Amino acid sequence: MTYIRRLPSFEYVSASTVKEACAVLSNNKGKVKILAGGTDLLVQMKERKVVPEYVIGLKQISGLNKIEENGKAGLRIGTLVTHHEIARSPQMQENFTCLAKACEKIGTPQVRNLGTIGGNLCNAGPSADSAPALLALGAVLTLQTGRGERQVPLEKFFTGPFSTILEEDELLTFITIPHLKGKSGSAYHYLTKRTAVDETLVGAAAALSLKAGDDVCEDVKIGLCSVAPTPIRALKAESKLKGKKLTDGLIEEASRIASGESRPRSWAEYRRDMVAVMVKRAVTEAWHRAAANKKGSGK
Amino acid sequence: MNKSDLKDYAVVGKPIRRVDGPAKVTGKATYAGDLLLPGTLHGKILRSPYAHARILNIDYSRAMKLHGVRAVVTGRDFPGVRYGFMPQTRDQLPMATDKVKHYGEAVAAVAAIDEDIAEEALDLIDVEYEELTPVLTIDDAMKEGAVIIHDHMDTNIAASSKMHFGDVEKGFKESDYIREEKFTTQRVSIGFIEPHAVIVNVDNSGNVLIQGSKQSPYITWRHFCRAMDLPLGKVRIINPYVGGGFSGKHEALDLDFAAAALSKKTGFPVKIVLSQDEVIAAFKQRHAKHVEIKIGMKKDGTLVACECKMIAEGGAYASVGPFNIVIFATSGLLLPYRMSHFKYEAHRVYTNKPWCGSVRGQSIPIARFAFESLFNMMIDDLGLDQLEVRKKNSILSGESTINKMTVGTAGMVEAIEKLGEMIGWDGRKKKKAPYRGIGIACSPQVSGARMGGHFGSSAVVKVDEDGGVCLIHGGTEIGQGCDTVLAQMAAEVIGVPVEEIRQMEEDSDVAVLEAGMFSSRCTFWAGHAVKRAAEDACQQLAEIAAPLLEASKDDIVFKNKTVFSRKNPGRAIAFIDLVRNAYYTKGQPIYGRGSYSASNIPMPDLKTGEGDVTNAWAFFAQAVEVEVDPETGRVKVLKSVCTRDVGRPINPMLLDAQLEGGTVFTSGQALYEECCFDEKGRPLQNSFLDYKMPTVMEAPENEHFDIITDDPNGPFGAKGAGEGSNGTTLAAIANAVEDAIGVRIKDLPITPEKILAILKQRR
Ligand SMILES: Cc1cc2nc3c(=O)[nH]c(=O)nc-3n(C[C@H](O)[C@H](O)[C@H](O)COP(=O)(O)OP(=O)(O)OC[C@H]3O[C@@H](n4cnc5c(N)ncnc54)[C@H](O)[C@@H]3O)c2cc1C
Repeated sequence: MTYIRRLPSFEYVSASTVKEACAVLSNNKGKVKILAGGTDLLVQMKERKVVPEYVIGLKQISGLNKIEENGKAGLRIGTLVTHHEIARSPQMQENFTCLAKACEKIGTPQVRNLGTIGGNLCNAGPSADSAPALLALGAVLTLQTGRGERQVPLEKFFTGPFSTILEEDELLTFITIPHLKGKSGSAYHYLTKRTAVDETLVGAAAALSLKAGDDVCEDVKIGLCSVAPTPIRALKAESKLKGKKLTDGLIEEASRIASGESRPRSWAEYRRDMVAVMVKRAVTEAWHRAAANKKGSGK
Repeated sequence: MNKSDLKDYAVVGKPIRRVDGPAKVTGKATYAGDLLLPGTLHGKILRSPYAHARILNIDYSRAMKLHGVRAVVTGRDFPGVRYGFMPQTRDQLPMATDKVKHYGEAVAAVAAIDEDIAEEALDLIDVEYEELTPVLTIDDAMKEGAVIIHDHMDTNIAASSKMHFGDVEKGFKESDYIREEKFTTQRVSIGFIEPHAVIVNVDNSGNVLIQGSKQSPYITWRHFCRAMDLPLGKVRIINPYVGGGFSGKHEALDLDFAAAALSKKTGFPVKIVLSQDEVIAAFKQRHAKHVEIKIGMKKDGTLVACECKMIAEGGAYASVGPFNIVIFATSGLLLPYRMSHFKYEAHRVYTNKPWCGSVRGQSIPIARFAFESLFNMMIDDLGLDQLEVRKKNSILSGESTINKMTVGTAGMVEAIEKLGEMIGWDGRKKKKAPYRGIGIACSPQVSGARMGGHFGSSAVVKVDEDGGVCLIHGGTEIGQGCDTVLAQMAAEVIGVPVEEIRQMEEDSDVAVLEAGMFSSRCTFWAGHAVKRAAEDACQQLAEIAAPLLEASKDDIVFKNKTVFSRKNPGRAIAFIDLVRNAYYTKGQPIYGRGSYSASNIPMPDLKTGEGDVTNAWAFFAQAVEVEVDPETGRVKVLKSVCTRDVGRPINPMLLDAQLEGGTVFTSGQALYEECCFDEKGRPLQNSFLDYKMPTVMEAPENEHFDIITDDPNGPFGAKGAGEGSNGTTLAAIANAVEDAIGVRIKDLPITPEKILAILKQRR
C-alpha cells in the first residue's frame, strides 16, 4: 500500500504555445510532466509514482480547449476540453451520444470540471472511460513535437497499462472524430466496481450506421475498457455484425464473441460475463438510436 | 405519527432546523483541523509497514538534522502504562515500544515547522524490524500452536462470553421445527469524512490542553490521563465540531499522545491531522464475525429456543470487544422477540489487523442479521406470514426477557402492523414483479446502556440578566443533532425560543462530560439532565414570580417568554422582567442544575449476561425493497420504510435523518463494503477511491412512521434512537435479496458476483 503523501516539490512552467511546451519537454527529457486537469497527475505525484522536476501547464495555449468543426475531417476536440463540457454539449449528446455518456460517467462534478479528455487518454489507464467511446467513433489523434506533427488512430495509441506511443517530447493536441454517416447512432454502457462514483469494471461503447431503409448494419465499431491491459476494439464482434441484418439473436452472438476477445485479469470470470452484457446493451441501444435517427434516411 | 398523538408542546416534537446548521453549511463551523495556536508545530506519524514485527532499533538522528525538525518521539517517550476500555483487557500503549501488532501502527512521530518537513523527516527515521508471522484469520488465531500476539498473554482469545437461560436442549425438544445456519460478516471501515485531527499544547507547568475531533471527549480524557500517568486536573479537553463519529472517535489515539509528547518536548503547540488513507489502513473497523445460529419454533411460528456460537475477529487490541460480544446476545438476540430458552458462547480473538471495537450499532446489526435471516428462512419454510410471525413473537410493554431485562413501553407490534400497511404487504403477493423483493427485519435499541465507571449525566442552565439562556451539558455534537435536541428540551421548559439557547464547545473544565456518545444515549441521558436543569432554573424563578403574581409557585407557567399562573393566565409578567427582578431586586443569579443517574440499573453482568442494561428500549421495524438485475447481479435498494417506537421523537426531522443515514451506512456492508488485506496483513485499500461506501447516489427513497408510546422513563417520553436502523438494514436487505432471487446468501457482502454465480447455476 502506498500512503498518499503531500505533493513533492517541483518547478511549474506555464507554456503559452505548443512549440514552447515541446521545447521544454525536449530539453528536459524524463524530468517533465504535462499538467492538464491534474486529476490523475497530482494523485500519482502524491503517491510518489511520478516525481517530476518540472510540471508544464498548457492552460495558456489558445485553442486547446475548444470543440470545433474541422470540415471533412469531422469534429476537432482540443485536448484540454473537460469532461463536463463534452457531457453537457447538446451536439455531443445528439451526434456522439456514447462519448457524452462516457464523459458524464467520469468521477464527480468536481472531477469532470477539471479533468480533460486528453488527460484521460494520455494517462492511458485500462479503465479510461472516454477511450471506448472514442475507439467506437474512430477517433484520430494529433500528436505534436518540435519536429512536426503526426496523425494517429486511437487504436494505435495505447501500448500497455499507463503507457502510450507518445515520445518523451510529444504532446497530444487534438482529437478528431469523423461524423457518423447516414442513419447512425451510438451508446455507452458500463458497470462500476461497486458504487455510482467508482472505477469502471466493464465499459462498452458501440457506434453503428444502418443501410438506408432497413436494419442492415453498414458499419459498426465497438470499444471496450477495463477488460484488457489497454482499452481495445472488439474487432471479431464487429465483423459478426457488419453487413448483416440486426436481430437480438445476432447481437447476443456478437456479444459473446466480444466477451471472448476480452482479457481481464482480476474478477476475470465476472468481467468476461459482463462484457457480453454491456456489449449487448450498447449495440442494441446504438441500433435503436440509429433506427430512430431521421438524419440521412432520405439519402 | 398520528394526529391524535400531537401534544401541546411549543418546540418538542417539532421538526425544527438544526441549531448548528447555518454555521456548518456556510463553512463557518470550526473543526479540529481549523485550529491554530501561536507557534504551532506540525506533526506526522511514522507507521509500521509490517502487520507483525519486533522493533529492534529506532534511529532518528538523521531526521533531527533536517532543517525545520524540532523533535522526534517514539514509544519510549511515554510512561509505559497500558490503557483500554476495560480493566481486564488494558492492552494498548500510546505508541509501539517493542512490537508492532498491525500494519500502520505508530512507531515514531515528528514535529516540524511545517507539514512538508515533518513528512520528509519520516523518511529519515531508520527502524530495524524483525518480521514475525502475521496472525490474520480466526483460524490462525485459534489453532493449536498459534503464534501469540500479546507477549503478556498465552492465548489470542481476548475475551469470551457464555450464557444459558432456560434449558436450550429442552427447548429444542419442544420445538416442531429446528434449523441451524452459519453466517459470516466482514470487516468494514467506519468512513467519517473528517479524518482524526488534534492540536495539543503542554504549557510550562505541564498543563495539557487537547482540542481534537472527538466523539466522546470523556473517554479520550480518561484514556489519555491513564496512559500519560496524569491526574485529570492536569488535562483539559475542549471539543470543537466533529465531522462524523459513528463510534470511530471515542478513544485516545496515537496522534493525541504523539502531539502531547512532542509539545512537551518542544514547548510549542503541536497539531496532527491524519489523512484518510491512514484512517482507512490503520484505525478502527467493525469486527468480522462467524455466527452459527440455531432456532427452534412451533408449527405456528412461536419462537421457543435459540442457540448461538459466535467468534469475532477483532485485530490487534481488545478495545470494547469484550462488551461487544455480550451485547451481541443481550441487545442483539434476546430482543425484540420473546423466547424461553437461550444459549450462547462467544469469543473475541486478536489478530494482526487494525483493531475493532464499536462501530455504529455496536454488535446489534450483525446479531440481527444472523437472527432475522434464519428466522425469515424458517417462516418461509413453514409457509407462514413474515409479519404475522414477527408480531406474534414481539415483546409487549411491561414484559421481561428470559435474562431478566425489563421492557417498559414496547410498540413493536404496532410498528410491524403499520409497516405492513405502508408497504401494502397483503396485496403484494399478487403483483410481485420478477427480480424485485421485499425484506423485513426488526430490532431493539437500548437508550444508552449503563457502563462501568462514570455514567451519570449533568447539565447547568444559566439565565442571563437580560433573559438569555446558556445551556452547559456534557453531550458532544457529532452531527447527530444533540445540540438541537437538547436546546429544544431546555427551550420547552423555559418557554423561550430555541434560538435564544446558547451552547458552547464541550469543555472538561466547564461541563461534567457525558460518559460518551454511544449506545444511542445522549437524548435520553443528557436530555434528562438538561430538562431537570431547566426545571431547576424555572423553579428558582417561580419562587420569585409567585408573590408578584399572587399565585402558588407550583402553578407558575413559563411560555412564550412570559410567566403566569395556570389559574390566571390573563395576568402575566415578561420573562425578562422576572429575570431582572431576580438579579436586580433579589440579588439572585439564576443557575439551574440537573442530573440523571439511572443508578437503578445495575452494572451489566458481563459473566452471566443477566439483568437490565437500560431504562428504556426502543423498537424498530424496517422493510426494504430491492431490485436485482438478473444479467449483472447488481442490487438496487429502491425503498426503505422504517416504523419505530422511540417513545416520542424530540425532533422527527433529525430522527428521520439519523435513520436514513443508518440505512445508507449499513447498506454498504450488506452489498459491497469490505476491508481487504494481502497475505502479509497489509491493507489493499487506502482511499475512498478504492474503499467504496454508499453515497447519496445509492440512497433509497425513504418513508417513516412513529408509534408514540411516551415512555415514562424518558425525557418528554423519548427513548434512544440514533442507531435503530443499523440493527435492521443488514437483515432487511438480505431478506429482500432472497425474496427477489429465491436464494439465500449467508456471507456478507452480497456482491453481484455471488448473485450472478447463483443465477448462472440455476439457468
Ligand atoms: C475522484 C476521481 C474519480 C475519477 N473517476 C474517473 C472515471 O470515472 N473514469 C475515468 O476514466 N477516469 C476517472 N478519473 C481519472 C481522471 O479524472 C481522468 O483520467 C481525467 O480525464 C484525467 O484528465 P486530467 O486533465 O486531469 O489529466 P492530468 O492528471 O492532468 O494528466 C494525466 C496524464 O496525462 C498526461 N497528459 C495530460 N495532457 C497531456 C497532453 N496534452 N499531452 C501529453 N500528455 C498529457 C499528464 O502528464 C499525465 O501523465 C478519476 C479521478 C479522480 C481523482
